[in-house]
Amino acid sequence: MNELQNMLEESVTRLFSEQIDRGFLAKVEEQGWSSELWDLVSEQGLTQVLSSEANGGMGATWADTFVVVRACGRYAVPLPVGEQMLALWLLERAGLPAPEGFIALLPTVLNAGATVTAEVARVPWGRQASHFVGLDSVGDLVLFEAAQASLTQGQNLAREPRDTVSLKDAKPLARAASTLKPDAIRWLGALLRAGQIAGTAAACLELSVKYTSDRVQFGRALSQFQAIQNHLAELGGAMASVDTMARTAFLALDARGLADASDASFEIAAAKCRASDAVELLTRLSHQVHGAIGFTYEYDLQFLTRRLWSWRAEFGTSGEWGEYLGRIATATGGDRLWALVTA
Amino acid sequence: MLNIESLRFPRYEQPASLAPLREEVRAFLDESLKAYSPLVRSNTWDGFDPDFSRKLGAKGWMGMTLPKAYGGHERSALERYVIVEETLAAGAPVGFHWIADRQSGPVIARYGTEAQKQKIIPGITRGEVCFCIGMSEPNSGSDLASVKTRADKVADGWLVNGTKIWTTNAHRADYMIALLRTDSSADSKHRGLSQFLIDLKATKGITARPIKDLAGRGHFNEVSFVDALLPADALLGKEGDGWKQVVAELAFERSGPERYLSCFLLLSRLVDALGKDASPAALAKVGAELAWAVTLRNMSLSVAGMLNEGIDPGLQASIVKDLGCQFEQRLPGLAQELVGLEPTLADAGTDFQQVLGNLMLLAPSFSLRGGTLEILRGIIARGLGVR
Repeated sequence: MNELQNMLEESVTRLFSEQIDRGFLAKVEEQGWSSELWDLVSEQGLTQVLSSEANGGMGATWADTFVVVRACGRYAVPLPVGEQMLALWLLERAGLPAPEGFIALLPTVLNAGATVTAEVARVPWGRQASHFVGLDSVGDLVLFEAAQASLTQGQNLAREPRDTVSLKDAKPLARAASTLKPDAIRWLGALLRAGQIAGTAAACLELSVKYTSDRVQFGRALSQFQAIQNHLAELGGAMASVDTMARTAFLALDARGLADASDASFEIAAAKCRASDAVELLTRLSHQVHGAIGFTYEYDLQFLTRRLWSWRAEFGTSGEWGEYLGRIATATGGDRLWALVTA
Repeated sequence: MLNIESLRFPRYEQPASLAPLREEVRAFLDESLKAYSPLVRSNTWDGFDPDFSRKLGAKGWMGMTLPKAYGGHERSALERYVIVEETLAAGAPVGFHWIADRQSGPVIARYGTEAQKQKIIPGITRGEVCFCIGMSEPNSGSDLASVKTRADKVADGWLVNGTKIWTTNAHRADYMIALLRTDSSADSKHRGLSQFLIDLKATKGITARPIKDLAGRGHFNEVSFVDALLPADALLGKEGDGWKQVVAELAFERSGPERYLSCFLLLSRLVDALGKDASPAALAKVGAELAWAVTLRNMSLSVAGMLNEGIDPGLQASIVKDLGCQFEQRLPGLAQELVGLEPTLADAGTDFQQVLGNLMLLAPSFSLRGGTLEILRGIIARGLGVR
């Protein structure tokens, strides 16, 4: 890790480990939001890591950003830190000034034209937004005020807000060419969730190792049993695979962007496919080694696993990204498949 | 306390300087593998072809990291990595030189005497010498330190008695590096072991009996030593240091890209067999395996980078081998399911069916050779601090 990454890792670890525990997570789950933590996160500039220094940000690379995103997963941060990071990056990139407050991402491609009509489902923390930002079918970035939309509340399995946002003949507050592909928000969202899953996988592994090392049965720690060690080793492998592929995708985005045929799409698709695919094993074995306690609301594990079950599907399932990769593979052909893997 | 960082794979960025070498190898392989059938190519590191190994040697792609003084090329471990992964992915028959290039050469370069180095390494770098590894015994598989084959010091050298087993290529190799017990009285089973460099063509009292594998193929052997007299200078490294040397040797054996690339040809052929009109469900499954391939490749590169920087990649290498052999073993079943054709032997079926049949019959070995899945999981558990 470079200096900025070490600094980021230290500050997010300190902040989140001080602020977040199971009582806090339960409270936020009930209330849907924590202004205290949001303010702390914003004050430390964590939502602005990707923004330029001229704009008050850190001018970080995507690789640096991975450290923050992963920590959000590791501590089950119940706020849209990554989403805000992406929204601010999109706006700055398109040359639009960022409004105050939380700017929610609209994950579907909007219609081009002077006004937008759309019903966008599963908008992360839509209800908390002061503004919405989306991309239309010609790749223009469009910004709306929250008041322009009507909203129906929803939530995912972790009770994170996932709201339906309806726009009717809404005239964007601002508009600018993005030079991104029209569905770029879906790709960035997939990258974000892959990075979070990498962090949550690490947390599942840590919790599983700790619990099985502390818990004694038949006169020895559970972790001394080979059957348990086997489960832990599998969790370790799954974590490492998700982590490696997610980081590879963040780095690819630094190197090649998200605008043309040679961009980071392949790595992002592979990262979300691998991450979503790993969720089954991660959740099943973490719960298995925890026994009944892991199945209770009182214990931390469920804050992690319920997120994994939701994030697995958000911004594309393993099947959807797998199909995308499968189409690239068949179009490339067997003889050039290795060149594709090593590109 | 578990340190998650110790489990992560450090990012490894390939130097751009490797690209020309990669292009050169690809062009060479395209040309020189034209005459080989898909079935033959699906054998990869089980494929045995002295002519091909000699050609690689002539290109300067054998013993790449070994000292120039012995015919080596003193190139980096990463340059060697390029050759290894390209030959494997292309399905080149690398079995003749595989063990010599991967571990025997480096082990001799590290522990051998000047005379041993001068005698053996030049042949390895020309791709002309075939090695086998005498580690496992009938009663000593995963529990390697329990080996019983003895080398007793006698007036004119060492007298060897006992049996080695699962010794790949022993019936046609030039040399064996064997782990033998030189001191039975030692109180720990790890002490009292030594490595020997055995000239199989010049030593009497050694018999290699091929053991057919489940498909009737002859590649591994039972090797019996009956009063086989080795010269005094057959000792490799220090007497009593055999265990330490073997552990170092196993690091070479477990850290390479061969641990996930045995079936890559099948993945390529599967992609072509499905074609663009494949169902979304089939594409999704192939795509998920492609995601695995890219993931494993990045993990494997990271291990190569760690080796290059002198960092012990033992834990990461075990994770790659664990995940990699699961990947390799899944592919034949998946290919069968998605294409729906029966696997066949060489006498029937299409190229695809023959490749499928061949790899289906090879796949059980993937999680056994070079350390079983269970041994690897134990190493990973130790890395997690629970063993």
